[in-house]
Amino acid sequence: MSVTTLTFDERIYPVDALQKAAYRFMNLFVVDFSIDKNLIICSLKPTQNSSQEGMDYHIDEFKKEVLDQVLRLKIKAETEDVRNLILGIAFSKSGFQ
Amino acid sequence: MSKFQPLASFLSSHHEYKLLPFKFEQLNDQDYVLTNLTGDYLSVPRAQLNRIVEHQVTPDEPIYSDLRSKHFIYEPNDIAPVELLGLKLRTKYSRLAEFTNLHIFVVTLRCDHSCPYCQVSRQSEDKAAFDMTPAMADKALDFVFKTPSKAIKIEFQGGEPLLNFEMVRYVVLEAEKRNAVTQRELAFVIATTLSLVTDDILSFCRDHNIVLSSSLDGPEELHNANRPRPNRNSHQKFVEGLNKARLALGFDNVSALMTTTEASLPMVNDIIDEYLRLGFRGIFLRPLSPYGFAIKTKKYRSYNTQRWLEFYKEGLNYIIELNRSGVKFSEHYTSLILTKMMTSTDPGYVDLMNPAGLGIAAIVFNYDGGVYASDESRMLAEMGDQTFLLGNVLVNTYEEVMLSDKLLDALEESFTLSVPMCSDCAFEPYCGAEPVYHHAIHKDFVAKKPESEFCNRNMSIFKHILGLMHSDKFTKQLFLEWSTRC
Repeated sequence: MSVTTLTFDERIYPVDALQKAAYRFMNLFVVDFSIDKNLIICSLKPTQNSSQEGMDYHIDEFKKEVLDQVLRLKIKAETEDVRNLILGIAFSKSGFQ
Repeated sequence: MSKFQPLASFLSSHHEYKLLPFKFEQLNDQDYVLTNLTGDYLSVPRAQLNRIVEHQVTPDEPIYSDLRSKHFIYEPNDIAPVELLGLKLRTKYSRLAEFTNLHIFVVTLRCDHSCPYCQVSRQSEDKAAFDMTPAMADKALDFVFKTPSKAIKIEFQGGEPLLNFEMVRYVVLEAEKRNAVTQRELAFVIATTLSLVTDDILSFCRDHNIVLSSSLDGPEELHNANRPRPNRNSHQKFVEGLNKARLALGFDNVSALMTTTEASLPMVNDIIDEYLRLGFRGIFLRPLSPYGFAIKTKKYRSYNTQRWLEFYKEGLNYIIELNRSGVKFSEHYTSLILTKMMTSTDPGYVDLMNPAGLGIAAIVFNYDGGVYASDESRMLAEMGDQTFLLGNVLVNTYEEVMLSDKLLDALEESFTLSVPMCSDCAFEPYCGAEPVYHHAIHKDFVAKKPESEFCNRNMSIFKHILGLMHSDKFTKQLFLEWSTRC
């Protein structure tokens, strides 16, 4: 099976986002990561036989997932404090030790 | 003169908002679903999602008030959203303080049926070695009444519990005696095929408010093929038992569950029609579970998740159309999910719990005194896997069992808010940890979720339910009704 290589600029794409996207696609690809200067290189090796058309579709979906993961990280960073506050309110009177 | 200030008075003077914690998943080609900490949801196009996160939505847009009222955003001076979310979250997890409501007594492993998919590795009818003894029952009852839960439900399972009805009778009377002192909300259920039900048994059930939970797989031919017994009359016995039991206990005090075999797959409408014909008001469309005889006879692998999902969707669609034509009927799994989606109430369904229901929602006392973390756990043990055997009532104390590493490790490791992928998943508030399933299939309490059929099946169901509500007003109203029934 042929390996597809994608490159992402680490100034734009956090490596966390790429790793989380790779995790979600682990049933379709095994992803190897390496870094060359500012570029994160992802080598995608399919885990099952797939047509070229199918492979292209999954690669496009992987790229979209990377963007979604970037957005998730933004939300998480902005809401971490208020999340902790809500959890604090929720469990402060629960009686749990 | 209006009694209210104009809308502009309630909007932020700075046109600023902050995000509240939320997660999102792709729903279909156009839309994404957003869920907050407590499971409130909103469906938006991808471009809109980006605008929300980038703080570009303005108060004059209709989505703004939706985002604010459903607690996805708040304005700098708002205090209520944070407190309300905390309160709703506390309500959602309030069951944890009163852990272990359901206590399952496996009074015998003997059974008069020999179902090839049976999730319990049954024994034949004549082996008394597989019966619970009074000494074990007494110790199990000691255990039951140590639960902090105000409500205690004792469920009798087998095998066929009616083959050891003397033990059922013994446990009920002993439990009532103890409850005269502790005053809990005590309830009893017998899981039975109804094939051995007698007037004497029903009279005892009526006198002690015992309800019956039975099995109906569909029309006679399918039911008898799925559930073999001597004389091949399982369906006839079920119908006779059902009629007698309804007369004795009340119409709604007898319920039924179905299991999907390969033979069921092309027959979902016929199966639903059979439930309707027999007067049931709903059905639980259940896939096979990977335990017991279902694995030994390779029944579990006889169809895949995708095929079961087609079966479920076809059945759900048929049920919606029945309702549209005026026939009130519901699908129970969908109702459980809808309760989680639309209310702050956790319906307490063990498969869809986080932390998992292991030990803290249900616990099992096996016929041999073994204490298991769930019904599925003892099924695994009958296959030789004792991972979830927590102890034995004859030798272990309540504290030793409930604080055992075996139980606490499984609960902690599978906690979805710290599991890869689940912790970022928008459907996490609706889903469950299910460490027993994942251990059975993947030999790991968590498993890699992209490879998990449990994850795949439930994600597909969540998306399907949301899609149906999004596309049809009647279905949305119907699902709203179902959400408040659990």
